[in-house]
Amino acid sequence: MIERSPWLDRTCHAILIIAAVLTCIPLYYAVVAGSLTTEAAQKVPLPLVPGGAFLENADAVWNRIGFGRLLMNSLIVALGIAAGKLAISLLSAFAITYFRFRFRGAAFWLIFLSLMLPVEVRIVPTFEAMTDVLMPLRILVQWSGISWLVEAMTGWRLEISANWSLLNSYSGLIFPLMASATATFLFRQFFLTIPDELCDAARIDGASPLRFFWSILLPLSRPNLAALGIIFFLFGWNQYLWPLLFTTEPTMTTVVVGIKQLVPHGDSIPAWNLTMNAAVLAMLPPVAVVLLLQRWFVKGLIESGK
Amino acid sequence: MSETAIPTLPPPRRALWPAFLRKGKAKRRSVQGIKASGFEGQLLPLLLLTPQLLILLLFFFIPAVRGLAQAFLLQDPFGQEVHFVGLENIMALLRSAEYHESLRLSVLFTIATTVLTFSVALVLAFATDRVTRGRTTYRAVLLIPYAIAPAVAGFVWAFLFNPLVGPAATFLHSLGIAWDPNRNGDDAMLLVILTASWKHLCYNYIFLVAALAAVPRSVIEAAAVDGAGPLRRFAWITFPMIAPTVFFLIIMNTVYGLFETFAIIDATTQGGPAAATSILVYKVYVDGFINLDLGSSAAQSVLLMIFAVCLTVIQFRLIERRISYEVSQ
Amino acid sequence: MATALSRRTVLAAGAAALPLFHVRTAAAAPREIKFWHAMSGVNGERLEEMTRQFNASQTEYSVTPIFKGTYDELINATVAAYRTRTQPQLVQIYERGFMTMLLSGAVVPVQELVAAHGHNINWADFIKPIAGYYTHKGKLAAMPFNSSTPILFYNKAHFAKAGFDKPAETWAALDEQLRKVKDAGGPGSIMAGDYHWSWFENYSAINDYQYATKNNGFEGLDTEFTYNRTPVVQQVGRMKRWLDDGLLQISGAGVSPTAVFTSGRSATFIASTASHSAVMAAGGLEWGAVPLPYEEGRTPRNSVIGGAVLWALRGHGQAENAGTAAFLAFSAKPETQVWWHKATGYVPATNAAYELAKREGWYKQAPTQEIAIQQLMRGEPTANSLGYRFGNFTQTMLAQREEAERSFAGQKTPQQAMDDAVSRGNEILRRFERLNAGRY
Repeated sequence: MIERSPWLDRTCHAILIIAAVLTCIPLYYAVVAGSLTTEAAQKVPLPLVPGGAFLENADAVWNRIGFGRLLMNSLIVALGIAAGKLAISLLSAFAITYFRFRFRGAAFWLIFLSLMLPVEVRIVPTFEAMTDVLMPLRILVQWSGISWLVEAMTGWRLEISANWSLLNSYSGLIFPLMASATATFLFRQFFLTIPDELCDAARIDGASPLRFFWSILLPLSRPNLAALGIIFFLFGWNQYLWPLLFTTEPTMTTVVVGIKQLVPHGDSIPAWNLTMNAAVLAMLPPVAVVLLLQRWFVKGLIESGK
Repeated sequence: MSETAIPTLPPPRRALWPAFLRKGKAKRRSVQGIKASGFEGQLLPLLLLTPQLLILLLFFFIPAVRGLAQAFLLQDPFGQEVHFVGLENIMALLRSAEYHESLRLSVLFTIATTVLTFSVALVLAFATDRVTRGRTTYRAVLLIPYAIAPAVAGFVWAFLFNPLVGPAATFLHSLGIAWDPNRNGDDAMLLVILTASWKHLCYNYIFLVAALAAVPRSVIEAAAVDGAGPLRRFAWITFPMIAPTVFFLIIMNTVYGLFETFAIIDATTQGGPAAATSILVYKVYVDGFINLDLGSSAAQSVLLMIFAVCLTVIQFRLIERRISYEVSQ
Repeated sequence: MATALSRRTVLAAGAAALPLFHVRTAAAAPREIKFWHAMSGVNGERLEEMTRQFNASQTEYSVTPIFKGTYDELINATVAAYRTRTQPQLVQIYERGFMTMLLSGAVVPVQELVAAHGHNINWADFIKPIAGYYTHKGKLAAMPFNSSTPILFYNKAHFAKAGFDKPAETWAALDEQLRKVKDAGGPGSIMAGDYHWSWFENYSAINDYQYATKNNGFEGLDTEFTYNRTPVVQQVGRMKRWLDDGLLQISGAGVSPTAVFTSGRSATFIASTASHSAVMAAGGLEWGAVPLPYEEGRTPRNSVIGGAVLWALRGHGQAENAGTAAFLAFSAKPETQVWWHKATGYVPATNAAYELAKREGWYKQAPTQEIAIQQLMRGEPTANSLGYRFGNFTQTMLAQREEAERSFAGQKTPQQAMDDAVSRGNEILRRFERLNAGRY
């Protein structure tokens, strides 16, 4: 620290402790509820201290919905979404901040527009797109007259008969959720703050754009990559509607859908303890990711400004 | 363009002044979101954009256009009967008193969540950046609750503030506050604002933490040498330096409030009581997903999209031009 | 020609290689019948057990139950699947989605399907308000699966403290009782989340009040709501008074009304008979149950049902349809029905099943479980009590609730609220009529 200011430090600690307690309340209640027997979970209000049935509940949850398989699916999907989003966004942000080319503004706003539409309107059309990925290509070939042209000139019929469906595949769970304006926007903001001198120096050294991207921009982006990585991993992990609708095989679904399956239906026995227990178990991989990526929040990567 | 500059440490005194007060002094400015110093080429940037645009085209734009076309149609969900109705769906909304009320609620809700989320997150991020002992622990503890399944989190918040059984509600009652979100629309609105802000707090916090991590220490040290106290340094040096991230968060919070909060509302109030928390995106959800009224839902989406685009363009115009993207001058 | 062929092959091969990880389940020996359902929690386990029983009872077919979220999520999943030809054979759709499904062109009426594959079901034996709800043009369009009807649960201790041994039969007398329970230090009653179903719809059926023209929609799509001209308006007023006086409480989110009742914080609880499983799961509660109250001077009629039915979707081959039919026939067997009734608390759908449950002594063991069936079988259903057949029924219901809540909040008088609910509801009905003209 630069100078000592004990009063401010104490205030900071106090604020952080209060905030930590407040944000952790839902978590604590989930742990408490997840450790009760079904009968004890009927008490209103819930007890304030955990019961002793956490392990039995965890065992019941694990066997009831095939938790292991669902955890693996969630892990693959969440990692896929996070990695995919970061990769394509880094490239596009690099393009729109470091290159002066036609359609630059249009590209940015097109990407940005994808934030502006509620999901409900596009659920069914997106499902259609996913079960028939090549549909646009087919229409394009038809409309553009390519097939007609080819047929007229050569007598061959050009047909795109492949039926490429992503239903019940990890790609089907990952790709529709990968389109992300968020990361492109954030990286744009960040790249704009990077001193121009770094780019100048790289160019003097004769580095290619991709070389500059790889050895300068990428390392500098580490804190932002960590932040986005955590956010996107959790975003992917907590997806409910898409995995529910986009899979028709129970083995391909994710852990959050599994949790929902444990939510008491209507008026049946309200075994909320199992639901909460599953919610706590399902948090373990995301917590590991948070702890892991934490280490990337290194201070002061850009030390050599002008 | 000078290409001779070699990275050196900034002269300490100039760093005391926030970048936006030094208008005109900077030799090169990043205008319109592009670097002053960049690369040549037309093909490479397009190639770099291709993966993003291809995914967007296949899984966003084509479905979106097909979905939005419903705004001008009357169609049954299974798609066997289609009537073209022109602007009828949109006009019906513009005439509807419920829709006007929903718009008013949305504006209120979005402003409240944006301000609340951002200001609390800023305080926490500042505090985290300031403390030395336990920084990693605080960061982890503040981030981990974000990992809890949203359905469960929504349920627990609703429970805490439930007027019949919730501990927080009992506390409010003991203060003489007649807290009842089940009958009082204003209480219900307050509840959804709180829950939605809590949900988005981690998001704001993490990006602010990341932005603060990127502030060059040399600048801060230089200011400290000049005798600026921690709060003053934050207000006059650090904050302008993280302004790009702040701008990002303001936009993202607006988007969050306008588009992504239907699940929270569904878990806490279901738009009630008497539609007091039925903001635009929740109406889109109810009409499209629950009522299967595709025409009206799409029409609402069209209006919501127009509204959001206008708002964002205004935000870009008003705010972005005041941001200096040059960190270390 | 050779070039064209190879080009096609290349495209197809590329497409096959592109998906990252494509999981395919091998076609198992018994033919698979997919059954999408919305039953989570314990009921979901019971449903899975029922499919296991069916799978063990024969070797030709294997029913795979697949959880597809809530009823709302399930119907959306069905729409998406049908539009992309990936639909399952069977889906469980809630009662309010009846008209959407019936006129969707996506379904095969179950009675036709089952008969075509040579299974014998005594269709005349279905309990009338259940069969009536789902019968179109003389045939059952969907198979009753989980049916329930509301009854009144009460807390014996709170009633005893006020000097009553059970709730009164009429609304007016119940009103007095609840005030005395409150005076004796007891709590108010908790309102179920789906209160519109018991307090407006069942209220109208039991008291034989008209809800809408054209026999509540059975006789045509041009039906119009009329409940703003019946005592439903007074009922809204009664709820408002009860809420103001603390006789009625709203649970809201975060706690289930059932839990409020089972924890002893509620005098009565008007809810689905399926709540039995939750009420019994909570120990230490002295409770009883009675039929729903009626208005003084009226002869109480049968109540109406709620719940969900199984729809057979189009687009499957003969062999698969045969499997679907076999499962539907299995689900209608008295033994299956009784097992389901006992396991979940839903009512048996046929008289034969009811008789079997009686013979097995089930109602000696669980007397309150019989109330719902007796209430459903009370007298011959009238045009006002057979059920409700409205298009976009969920949407009209949500508009009605919104207006009722405006009245509870004191923003509108009950009359004004119900007038507005009816005019909004009628607009919604007209949209449905316009889209489906000539198809009902």
